[in-house]
Amino acid sequence: MSTITSTGTGMSAASAAARYIGQSVTRKEDQRLLTGHGQYVDDITVPGMLHAAFLRSDIARGAITGIDLDAARALPGVVAVYTWSDFHGGFGPAWHAMLGEELQVPPPLAITDVRHVGDPIAIVIATSRYIAEDACDLIEVDIDAGQAVVEFSTAQADTDNVVHAGWGLQSNAMVAVPFTPMSPDLDQAFADAAHVVECTVRQNRYICVPMEGRGIIADYALGRDELDLVCSCQSVHETRNFFSRYLQIPESSVRVSARDVGGGFGQKMFAFREECAVVLSSKLLGRPVKWIEDRRENLIAAPHSRNEQGVVRLAIDADQIIQAITIDHVGDIGAYPACPAVMNPQLLPGPYKIPRLGFSMNMVWTNTMGKGAYRGPWMFETTAREMAIDNAARVLDIDPIELRRRNLLAETDLPFTSPGMQVFSEITPLETLEQALTMLDYDAFRAEQAAARADGRLLGLGCCVYVEPTSMSGPTLATEGATIRVEASGRVVAFLGTTSHGQSVETTMAQVVADTVGVRYEDVTVVQADTQSTPYGPGTGGSRTAVIAGGAARQAGEVVRDKIIQIAAHQMEADPADLDVANGTVSVKGTPARSMTVKEVADHAYRFADQLPVDLGPGLEATVRFKPTRFPTWSNATHLCVVEIDRDTCVPHVVRYIVSEDCGRMINPSVVEGQIFGGVVQGMGGVLLEDFVYDANGNPLTTTFMDYLLPTTTEVPEIEVGHIETESTTNPGGYKGMGEGGAIGAHAAVANAVGDALAHLGIRVTSTPLGPDDIHRLLIAVEA
Amino acid sequence: MNTTDVSVTVNGRACSGTVEPRKTLADFLRDDLGLTGTHLACEHGVCGACTVIIDDRAVRSCLQFAVQVEGSSITTVEGLATDGELNPVQRAFMNEHGLQCGFCTPGFVVSATALLASNPDPSDQEIREGLSGNICRCTGYQGIIRAVRSAASEMRTTR
Amino acid sequence: MGRVHSITRIAENRRLTRGWGIKPAPFDYHAPTTVEEAVDVLADLGDDAKVLAGGQSLIPMLALRLTRFDHLVDIGRIPALRTVEHGDDSVTLGSMVRQHEIEDSAEIARRIPLLHAATPLIGHFQIRSRGTVGGSIAHADPAAEYPAVALALDAELEIIGPDGRRVVPAAEFFHGMWSTSVSDGEVLTSVRFTEWGAGSGFAVEEVARRHGDFAIAGAACGVQVVGGSISRATIALFGMDQVPRRATAAEAALIGARADEADLLAAGQLAVEGLEPSDDLHASGALRLRIGATVVRRALTTALARATEQSA
Repeated sequence: MSTITSTGTGMSAASAAARYIGQSVTRKEDQRLLTGHGQYVDDITVPGMLHAAFLRSDIARGAITGIDLDAARALPGVVAVYTWSDFHGGFGPAWHAMLGEELQVPPPLAITDVRHVGDPIAIVIATSRYIAEDACDLIEVDIDAGQAVVEFSTAQADTDNVVHAGWGLQSNAMVAVPFTPMSPDLDQAFADAAHVVECTVRQNRYICVPMEGRGIIADYALGRDELDLVCSCQSVHETRNFFSRYLQIPESSVRVSARDVGGGFGQKMFAFREECAVVLSSKLLGRPVKWIEDRRENLIAAPHSRNEQGVVRLAIDADQIIQAITIDHVGDIGAYPACPAVMNPQLLPGPYKIPRLGFSMNMVWTNTMGKGAYRGPWMFETTAREMAIDNAARVLDIDPIELRRRNLLAETDLPFTSPGMQVFSEITPLETLEQALTMLDYDAFRAEQAAARADGRLLGLGCCVYVEPTSMSGPTLATEGATIRVEASGRVVAFLGTTSHGQSVETTMAQVVADTVGVRYEDVTVVQADTQSTPYGPGTGGSRTAVIAGGAARQAGEVVRDKIIQIAAHQMEADPADLDVANGTVSVKGTPARSMTVKEVADHAYRFADQLPVDLGPGLEATVRFKPTRFPTWSNATHLCVVEIDRDTCVPHVVRYIVSEDCGRMINPSVVEGQIFGGVVQGMGGVLLEDFVYDANGNPLTTTFMDYLLPTTTEVPEIEVGHIETESTTNPGGYKGMGEGGAIGAHAAVANAVGDALAHLGIRVTSTPLGPDDIHRLLIAVEA
Repeated sequence: MNTTDVSVTVNGRACSGTVEPRKTLADFLRDDLGLTGTHLACEHGVCGACTVIIDDRAVRSCLQFAVQVEGSSITTVEGLATDGELNPVQRAFMNEHGLQCGFCTPGFVVSATALLASNPDPSDQEIREGLSGNICRCTGYQGIIRAVRSAASEMRTTR
Repeated sequence: MGRVHSITRIAENRRLTRGWGIKPAPFDYHAPTTVEEAVDVLADLGDDAKVLAGGQSLIPMLALRLTRFDHLVDIGRIPALRTVEHGDDSVTLGSMVRQHEIEDSAEIARRIPLLHAATPLIGHFQIRSRGTVGGSIAHADPAAEYPAVALALDAELEIIGPDGRRVVPAAEFFHGMWSTSVSDGEVLTSVRFTEWGAGSGFAVEEVARRHGDFAIAGAACGVQVVGGSISRATIALFGMDQVPRRATAAEAALIGARADEADLLAAGQLAVEGLEPSDDLHASGALRLRIGATVVRRALTTALARATEQSA
């Protein structure tokens, strides 16, 4: 294990002789993105292209009793207006491999009733988006409104209003797992405990909000039954396979590309109803159709996230050791989920030595926007645990940091099998806590806090420690493929099945390939996000690229390097064992003058292949599919957050933010830190600013950026990062995933900081959001 | 459909088009002039992704109609680099990892370029306040703030 | 113009055509080059027409299809509306003077400090590139800074319409949320601010969810100190009601107080007494009162410090 502490490493231009892995090399993506030459889906125009807009329900629940499309169809510039009846019978199975056949994507348009505000009812195809929206305004829809089910914690008990009565369901329970003790002596542990502390933790509804919304250009060629898609998505291959099934045409008849994608965070992982409606429209018309989701649609009708609640109980003994943890959980799935992701209960004990676990899980339907994946979709286990630990510390009147110290896993405790059957190794929870506390200067902070309190100021420290299951297996996720080819010029191209949307994959994988093959970073090109040229990959998400795509790139690179050496050895009449490849040159170790360039090797592989020995085939290319040695690859971190609340205005302000993280060997430290920064600010936003609100009738109230508030430069402090590098043995590079960790850790760290700022007033904080209005309510309750 | 002719100078070149009055400047630049570097991420004047420079001032191009800026001189992100040479702000964003998915980036580099033109020696607080009208979802702003600080410093020493 | 208010507030107060769309509905565009021409065009078009100034408040509402007009009359091409006149004791700004011009003007900073101090709080600098002083005041968003400044300084609003020219004092200008003395067919053409004398200090304090957001509550204050005592005070609150409000009782209580002994905590509390701000998504009425009292206290503290520097 090596320890590195750094804050904000800048990028550097790699020098000719340097190795690239471990360096913050400048990104390959940047030249085009900085000069406005990216190719996002709305930047692309296809000849004959039409534009789509959706008419959506303004009512959360109700029967469609009438619809009049005449005026819309008659508007000049409108080519078609489609409803469900136009699509009915025109498509096949609608499922995503990662989620399984049982979870079908809901119908592209509402059939007889609407079940959430935003439910798409009709699609207008016109010569411009402006005209398509004009046409939407002319559509008359009559909806007989019913009582919407909005509050998820009571939805299961509500048998009068059943969200999916239309499917013959009789309750709003999608999944109800009764209380399941994972340990035989769970009850006894609670009975014996010196302290049993219970609280209800609630995490609010907040959402991905990528800066680029969803979007697609669908071009169905009627005569050839081929579909060409440009799609703002996180997986071109899964999108291709999905539409192959959906339209019942071969995979090879579907091409999906996504040159640049403006963020996803999980929301674009699975093609959903709108993409289906656009594809079907293109097929009916035999023309390309473009749909670009606008911001209001993205806030209201793109998959939602978080919004879970649980009663957490901790059994704590007289030495402040946590003997058991349980949760009774309920999570909101909405009406039509894209991905019904909720807490992973087996992860509830997290990176602690807690020996016993029990849980019940409930997932409920409501008349709100359906659930999707969002950076660490299972992370409520961390929010629930970390807020419950702080709450327990208040009840026991001990320092929440000390309570963690006593219970966290240290290196000496590993390997450790949790009561949730997770096997931990190569993680450093206690070590990251100590590093973070050192970076903060913990004792100095508590002294500062004491002085602040004496002055009437509200200053608090929040902590969150977690493990992140990266590079998971499960359907489709276990492998990545890489094809690496040396071109005739000596340049190297790597084809990967990834679909990066901000993760710098073109850069980090080029670093791996350059080091592995032995060429310059400048001479490597990564091609991804095109089903036509790249090997299958399930997509980019789940913190897997470094481990699995990196593993594939490395292994394929090793095969190519080996062949380079074989060819060079033959040409130079040298022993392969005496040759080294670096910076695009193959040379005899110790005798650099005896060398040939990789370009010259490529010449022999392609142009003079007739001169190669029989056992050395022509060409210089390798394809590998890589699988890690075990799943998942665990990474971990500790987050510390200092918040001050202005007592007179109730406005919270983040003063300081520290992350100590262990993601194994880092390919590019700036990329790692950038991923942490982005996730932290999303988690911070979800506590202090971002809150998606519905009224009692299921009307969304936060429908624009004026009401759904994202953090800006003035709300975030400088974020300090310390690194611990415990190399992973699941993959040859020693890497671990980490892309979701920032978003996993920040929510509880920030919420606990607000709690710590108010704790001395007798206030307990176990739910979010915590904006000024929420803080005001907490304060006036004790000021009275 | 009533339309009007619009003539503007964009990135030093005379451009024109025929548009409905309701067509925003952002859509005119993207659709009529093919300058797709200016991005739309909210279209209601909050996120700053659509920022362009009009007559030396940074403006949200989604909050102006093309007809309103007839005769103006406009600079978009495509006009910041000179003969392929990035301007100091763009270079700094590259060196400080100031972008990830890149969608908000044109708005940021245009805003930062305008900011530094009028305030070449901004304090940290001035940088933060100046950029608070641009939203990023990927970077957590750390690399962006470092980039603007670094660009300001470089531009002051080369002045 | 100022920034657009919360959509939920708008929905409560205006007929919502539909909750979808991001491109504006069609309209005819008119760009008169004189005030007379503008008034004539507006008279012809009636209430199907809307004046377009900077567009920073109107255009988002059009884009979100919260409102629509068959005609927009762009007054941005009228040179007479862009003038800045420096009189002996007053400054008159044409309604199309851009907010950034006010922000960049050392003269206005010196002569009408309250207006200058309020300007950086308006949205973000990209908004201020196009937003105008007249647009903000005529739009009359309850949470906007300029209407409160106009009220605090007893500004004079010049309106020109089919019946000619009239001047309305700020105290009579704001009628309700987004509702002013400017009726259909009229154009707000200029705003006149009178300078205060020596020994004056001004400050604006507001609290928003984020920098640049519309205020939850704010206060625009000015005091004049003569011989160590407060001889004049103005306190205008914004975000606390449908219109900006002068806290006349709190102002009166300050008159005669020693500058270094004035009870500003009491002034803040007195300033919000009797107000009943409503609850919305971002703050309850009770929180608004708490914030209102706080921003008055803080703004008066700063204003007094500046006034004392002035008279020292």
